[in-house]
Amino acid sequence: MPELIITKNIDAPGLDTLKGYRKRGGYKSLAKALKEYQPDDILEMVKKSGLRGRGGAGFPTGMKWGFLAKNQPRYLCCNCDESEPGTFKDRMLMEKNPHQLIEGVILTSYACRVSVAFIYVRGELALAGRQIERAIEEAYGAGLIGKNILGSGYDLEVIMHRGAGAYICGEESALMESLEGRRGYPRLKPPFPAAVGLYGGPTVINNCETLSTIPAIVKNGADWYASFGTEKSKGTRVFCLSGHVKKPGNYELPLGTPLRTLIYDEEYGGGILDDKQLKAIIPGGSSTFMLGADKVDTPLDFEAIAAAGSMLGSGGVVVIHEDTCIVGAALRMTEFYRDESCGKCTPCREGTYWLTEIYERLEHGRGKESDIDLLMDICDNISGKSFCPLGDAATSPITSSIKLFREEYEYHVRHGRCMVGDQHAQQETLLAGAQSVHAGAPAKEM
Amino acid sequence: MPEEKKDELVHLTIDDIPVAVPPGTLVWAAAREAGIEVPIYCYHPKMPPLGACRMCFVEIEKMPKPPQTACTTPVSEGMIVHTKTEKVLKARRGTLEFLLINHPLDCPICDKGGECDLQDFTLRHGPGGTRFDQPKRHYQKPIPVSDRVMLDRERCILCQRCTRFSSEISMDNGLVMISRGYKMEVGTAPDHAFDSIFSGNTVEICPVGALTATAYRFKARPWELKHIPSVCNNCSVGCNVRVDVRVDKIMRNMSRQNDAIDDGWLCDRGRWGFEYVNSPQRLRTPMIRRDGQLVAAAWEQAFYTIALRLSEITKKYGASAIGGIGSTRTTNEDAYLFQKLLRQVIGTPHVDHHHGYFPGLRDSMTGKPWMMTNSIAEIEQASHIVLIAADPYQRQPILDLRIKKAMKGGAKIYVVNVNETELDRFAVQKITLPQQGAGAVAKILLSTVVRQEEMKAPDEALRAKLLQEDALIRGHEEMLGSEVTAQLRELAHEIAEARGAIILYDEMATLEAGCEDLAADLQALAVVTGNIDRPGAGVGPLFEDANSLGARDMGLLPDALPGYNPAEDAGMTYAEMLSSLQLKALYVMGANPARHVEKLPDSLKLLIVQDIMLTETAQQADIVLPAVTFAEKDGSMTNIDHHVQAIRQALRPLPGAKADWEIFVEIARHMGIKWNYASSKEILREIAEENPFYAGLDWEELGAQGVRTQEQEVARA
Amino acid sequence: MISEQAKQRMRELAAHYPVARSAVMPALYIAQQEEGYITEAALEAVAEAIGMTVDDVESVATFYTMYYQQPPGKKVIKVCTSISCYLRNCDALVDRFEQRLGIERGETTADGNYTLMTAECLASCGTAPVIQVNDEFVENVTLEMADELVSEWERELSADVGTQFIAPSSDQEISAPRAQ
Ligand SMILES: Cc1cc2nc3c(=O)[nH]c(=O)nc-3n(C[C@H](O)[C@H](O)[C@H](O)COP(=O)(O)O)c2cc1C
Ligand code: SF4
Ligand code: FES
Repeated sequence: MPELIITKNIDAPGLDTLKGYRKRGGYKSLAKALKEYQPDDILEMVKKSGLRGRGGAGFPTGMKWGFLAKNQPRYLCCNCDESEPGTFKDRMLMEKNPHQLIEGVILTSYACRVSVAFIYVRGELALAGRQIERAIEEAYGAGLIGKNILGSGYDLEVIMHRGAGAYICGEESALMESLEGRRGYPRLKPPFPAAVGLYGGPTVINNCETLSTIPAIVKNGADWYASFGTEKSKGTRVFCLSGHVKKPGNYELPLGTPLRTLIYDEEYGGGILDDKQLKAIIPGGSSTFMLGADKVDTPLDFEAIAAAGSMLGSGGVVVIHEDTCIVGAALRMTEFYRDESCGKCTPCREGTYWLTEIYERLEHGRGKESDIDLLMDICDNISGKSFCPLGDAATSPITSSIKLFREEYEYHVRHGRCMVGDQHAQQETLLAGAQSVHAGAPAKEM
Repeated sequence: MPEEKKDELVHLTIDDIPVAVPPGTLVWAAAREAGIEVPIYCYHPKMPPLGACRMCFVEIEKMPKPPQTACTTPVSEGMIVHTKTEKVLKARRGTLEFLLINHPLDCPICDKGGECDLQDFTLRHGPGGTRFDQPKRHYQKPIPVSDRVMLDRERCILCQRCTRFSSEISMDNGLVMISRGYKMEVGTAPDHAFDSIFSGNTVEICPVGALTATAYRFKARPWELKHIPSVCNNCSVGCNVRVDVRVDKIMRNMSRQNDAIDDGWLCDRGRWGFEYVNSPQRLRTPMIRRDGQLVAAAWEQAFYTIALRLSEITKKYGASAIGGIGSTRTTNEDAYLFQKLLRQVIGTPHVDHHHGYFPGLRDSMTGKPWMMTNSIAEIEQASHIVLIAADPYQRQPILDLRIKKAMKGGAKIYVVNVNETELDRFAVQKITLPQQGAGAVAKILLSTVVRQEEMKAPDEALRAKLLQEDALIRGHEEMLGSEVTAQLRELAHEIAEARGAIILYDEMATLEAGCEDLAADLQALAVVTGNIDRPGAGVGPLFEDANSLGARDMGLLPDALPGYNPAEDAGMTYAEMLSSLQLKALYVMGANPARHVEKLPDSLKLLIVQDIMLTETAQQADIVLPAVTFAEKDGSMTNIDHHVQAIRQALRPLPGAKADWEIFVEIARHMGIKWNYASSKEILREIAEENPFYAGLDWEELGAQGVRTQEQEVARA
Repeated sequence: MISEQAKQRMRELAAHYPVARSAVMPALYIAQQEEGYITEAALEAVAEAIGMTVDDVESVATFYTMYYQQPPGKKVIKVCTSISCYLRNCDALVDRFEQRLGIERGETTADGNYTLMTAECLASCGTAPVIQVNDEFVENVTLEMADELVSEWERELSADVGTQFIAPSSDQEISAPRAQ
C-alpha cells in the first residue's frame, strides 16, 4: 500500500484538535515556510510539484496562483462546498483533519500574498462547519492566524462562511457571488477570478483537498510529491468509492492506479456487491460521462480517463452493477440537475425541467419511441449552450447512458418497464445486510 | 495608452460584411452596425451584459466552444463572425423552444401582442412547432406587484431585465428574482409592493407580456396606436417621450431614448401622469361671468369682450393698471407671445410668471439666469457630485438615475440637506442642516476655499468681499455648529481638489430667508475652484417645471425682455401684482395664484384666466378661456440644461379649446393689431431672431432630440 | 420577534465582513434560529441590520434551500436520494418513513413533530443510504434502523413536550416557492 499523504493518520483520535494535529507534525510546514521561504518560493514549489486542482477541472494549482493580478487586496476562497453526487472526501477532511486544511489555507495565502481568506463550507455539512470554525478559533488562539503570524510579520484573517443549500455555489464564481451575499449565479468569464474575483479583487480559489495537500508538499518538497502518480497527473488523490461495491469509502491512491484496483482490490472496494457483474462506472462524480465495464482497466489519471471518454472530475467513483436499470439511474441524476440549476440561463433551467419530464414518463411506462432521440437532441441544445458547466454536466449521464445502453431505453418504451432485475426484490436484500465502513465512516463529535 | 490608439477602430467582418467599431463594442452592437439582427432578450444596452437568455448566439472563427453569445463578446481585430450558420440557427431554435415550453401562448389577449420580442423572434428565428407535449407550469394569472404594475409569471421568460433595472439602474432593489431554477419567478417580498417611482421602465423593457401597466392593460392593440414624438411635461428634465394615441386619447407614454437627457428612462409621473389630458374636467368653451355666474360663451364674444374691457380699463386707469402672469409649463412660443401681447399690444410693463413667489433665479449683476453650467450627460464624468438642498429623486427623478450612474462610474456623492433624501444611502457623506441653512453652507464652502488659499482662479474682489462678511460667516458657523462646519470645510477641500465637481442646488432653496446669496456664492465657488468650463465640472440650480427656464428666456419677467434685455421701466413682480391696489385687470395664463395667496386684490375689475381646467383662480375669473395641453399643439420647451426641444401635436385639440398662442393672435386682432403667425414655427423663428439664447434655431433643427444652445451665455460670478 | 441580541449579532457580522452584504446568509441563519423559519420579522430584521431591502433579502433567502419558507417540524428528516444512495435503495427508506410518519415527502405532520424531506447528495455516499436528522448524520441506515429511529423519536418527543424548540437549518422540499 502506497504511503498516504493527506489521509495519513486520518482516523487517529484527536487529530482534529490543534494538539493532536501538532503532535503529528502539524504546522511545522507553516513555521518552516514563514521562516525560510519567500512567498514566491512556495509558488515555485507548488508549480514544480505538478499538483492539479481536486475540485473538478484539474487545473494546475501553481499556474493558477501565478495568474493572480498584482493589485491588492487579494482574497483566497477555499471551496468546501462539496456537493457533487458521489463525492464525500472534503467532508471527511474537514471533519477529521480540519487543521491540515487551515494550514494549507495559511500557506496558500502567504504564497499568494492574500490578507483575507474564506472557507466556504457547504451548509448541509454542519459538523464539518463546526470543526472548521473550531479549528480557526484554535489557530487564532495559537497565533497561527491573525496579526504577525508566528512573529513573521505576515497578517491573515480567515473567515468560515456557511453555504445554505445550493450545488451551484461550488462553481467558483457562483461561490463568490454567494460570499458577497447574493444569489448564487455564476458570473460572466472573463474576467477570471485571478483578475477580478471576490469584492472585485484578484482571488485564488481552490478545492478543500487541493489545499489540504499543500502542507505535505511544503514539508517534503516538490520532487517528493511529484514522485507519486504519472508523468502528467502527479501525486495522490482521494477517490470516493460508492455504489455497488463491497467496501465503499474514501481511498487515497496515487494517480494512475487502475480503476480495477480501486474497485476489486481487497484493500479497497473489495469487488462488486453480491459478486454481480460490473455494468458501468461513473469515474468523477455524476457530472462526468459514464464508462462501460470494458473500461475497468483504465488508469485513474486525468489523461487516461479523458482518453477513455470521460473525466476524473471530483474523484467520485460510482460503481453500477448489472441489476441496475439505467433509465431509473439517469432519471435520478437528471432530477438533481433540475433541482440544482440556478435558473439563470434558459437551456439549463428549461432543458433540465423538460428532460426530467420525459424521463418520468419513460420510467413510468408512458414513453414514446421518439423520446430517446428527443433526449439526445435536448442535450445537444443544452450542452455548450448553457452559461456555466452545470448545464453541460446535466447532459453527461443522459448522453453517455443512451450511447452505452440504448437498448434498455428502447425496452422501457416498448415494455413499459425495466429490462433488468426486479428493483423491489433487491432492495430488501440490500438494506438487510450491514455495509462495510471505511474512511468515510461517521465521525463522532469530540 | 497613446492618445491616438484610443480612437482607433477595430475591424471585423460579420457575415462577410466589414465593419469598424470602437474597441470594447460587443459583437451584438457591431452586427447592428452592419445591419444584421442578432436576437436578444436578457441583454439591454443600458446594462452590463448578462449572457443568461442564450438567444444571441453567433459563431466566431477561432473561438473555442461554438457558438458564442454576441451580447457578452467584445470585438477584436480581424474577428470573423457568422450569424447564420446551421450551428447558430439550431442553437437559437433550441433556446426558443425552451422558452416556449412553459409559455402560455395567450397572445390573443396579451397586451404585448404585436410588439413582443418572443413573438417576433419566434417568427424569425424559431422552430416551426414544439416537441414539448407535456403539462406546462402554471401560475395564478396576473398578480399585482404594485398598484401600477401587473405580473403574469407564466409569460415571463426570466431574462432578468426588470430585476436588473431595479438593482443596477434605479438601485432600489424592489423587484427581485424569487426561488431558483425551474421554480424561479420575478417578485417581491411577501405582501410587499414594488413601489419604485421608476417602476414603469420595467414594463417598458420587458421583452414579453409578463409585466404590464395597470393603466394600459386591455386598452389598445399596438397596431392601432399612432406614435408621436414629444417631451414630458412633468418636470424640468424634459425626458423624451413617444406619445401613443388611439382615437384622440393618450393611451400611454413610452420612452423615446435621448442619451443626452433621459438615457432612455422615464419616471412613473412622466409615464402615467397624463390623465389630465384625457380628463372630462377639461374646459371646452369660453365662459363669461354674468350676474355672478360663469356662463358659456362663443369665442368671438369672449375676444370681443376682452378687447373692450381692456381698452376701457386702459382709458380709465392707463395701461399700467393691467398685469399678466404666465406659466412655467406652456411652450416658449406661448410665453413669448403672451409677453408680446402684454408689452406691445396692451402696453403694460407688468409681466411675470408663476414661480411661487420666485424672484427669478438670476445674477443680479448681469441679469442673466443662473442655470446648470454642465450638461446632464456630463454628470457622468464628475468625480464629485454635491447636492445642496436638492432632492432630485423627488423633484427631477431622471437626474437621480444619472447621478447613480455617475456613482457606479466612481463619482462620490455628497448630500447636504435638511431632510432625508433617497440618495443619502449612496452618499459618501450626508450633512444634515437646520432649516434654512443652505445659504450658510454656500458661504462657508466659499470662504473656506478662499481662506485656505485653494483658489485655482484667485479673485481679489471676492476675497475682499468675504473679508467684509467675516462676522456674518462666523454667525453662520455658530448656527450650523462645529461638527457640520468641520464637515463643510472638508467638503470645500474636496471640491477644490476634485478632478471635476458638479454642485447642484434646488431653485426653491434660494427662496428661503438667508439664502439670497446661495446661487451667487455657489457659482463663485465653482469658478474659483476651477469647476467650470471643463468636462465633468459645473454648478447650477435644479428647476421645477418643464419650461421654468424657457419662461424666463422668453421675457416673462418684470424687468427683462426676451433674452434678458433689460426692460426700459421695470414692471411689477408676481408678488407685487398680487398685492397691488393699482392693478385693475389681471391676465393669467396657465397659473393658479389663487392657490398661493389668501385673496386676489379687491381692486381687480377684470380677471382673465386661460387654462385647461377650472382652477381656483379660474373660478374667480370674469372671463375663462379654454386652452389645450402640450399634447394638442406644437411648440418648443427649454429644459434644465438648456436643451430646446420640440413637442409635437399628438391629439386634435379638444373641441372648443385653442392653443395659447392662437388665443393671443385673436386678442391682438380684436385690439387692432394684425399678427401673421400661421403656426408656432413662425413664432420660434421670431424668437430665434431676437433672443441670443436661441439664435439660429428653427423648428426643423430641433429635430427628434432637441438642441442644447448657448451654454456659454450662462451667467458668471 | 427577533431579539435585540440577535440583531446585534447580525450587525456585528455585517461589520466583520469586508462588505456588509456578505453577512446576509449568516444573518438569515440567526433569524431562522429564532423564528424557526424565515418570517416577515426575520426578513425585516436582516434587511435592517445589513442595509438591504426586504425584497432583496427575500430574493437571497429563496435561492438557498436551507432557509425554510414554512415552519418545519421538530424533527426534520432528510433522506438523501441522489445517485449513490439510490443505488443503495434509499427509495425504500423514504417509503418506510412515509409509512411510519403518515406523511409524504415534503410534508410536515399535523402535530408539527416531523418534517420528511428528500435531499440531494449529502456527501456521505460511502456510507449510503444516509439520512440527516436536524443536521446530524445517520449513516448506513437499514430499514430496521429506520424503525428504531422512529420509535426513539416518539419516546423523546412524548417525554419532553415542553422542551425547547430546536431549529433545524436545512431544507429541500419545503422551500418551494410560496404561492402568491
Ligand atoms: C456546477 C459546478 C459545481 C462545482 N462544485 C464544486 C465543489 O463542490 N467543490 C469544488 O471544490 N469545486 C467545485 N467546482 C469546481 C470549481 O468551479 C473550481 O474549479 C474549483 O473549486 C477550483 O479548485 P481546484 O483548482 O483546487 O480544483 C464546481 C464546478 C461547477 C461548474
Ligand atoms: S418580467 Fe419580463 S423583463 Fe422581467 S425577467 Fe420576466 S421576462 Fe424579463
Ligand atoms: S446553471 Fe445557471 S447557467 Fe448554468
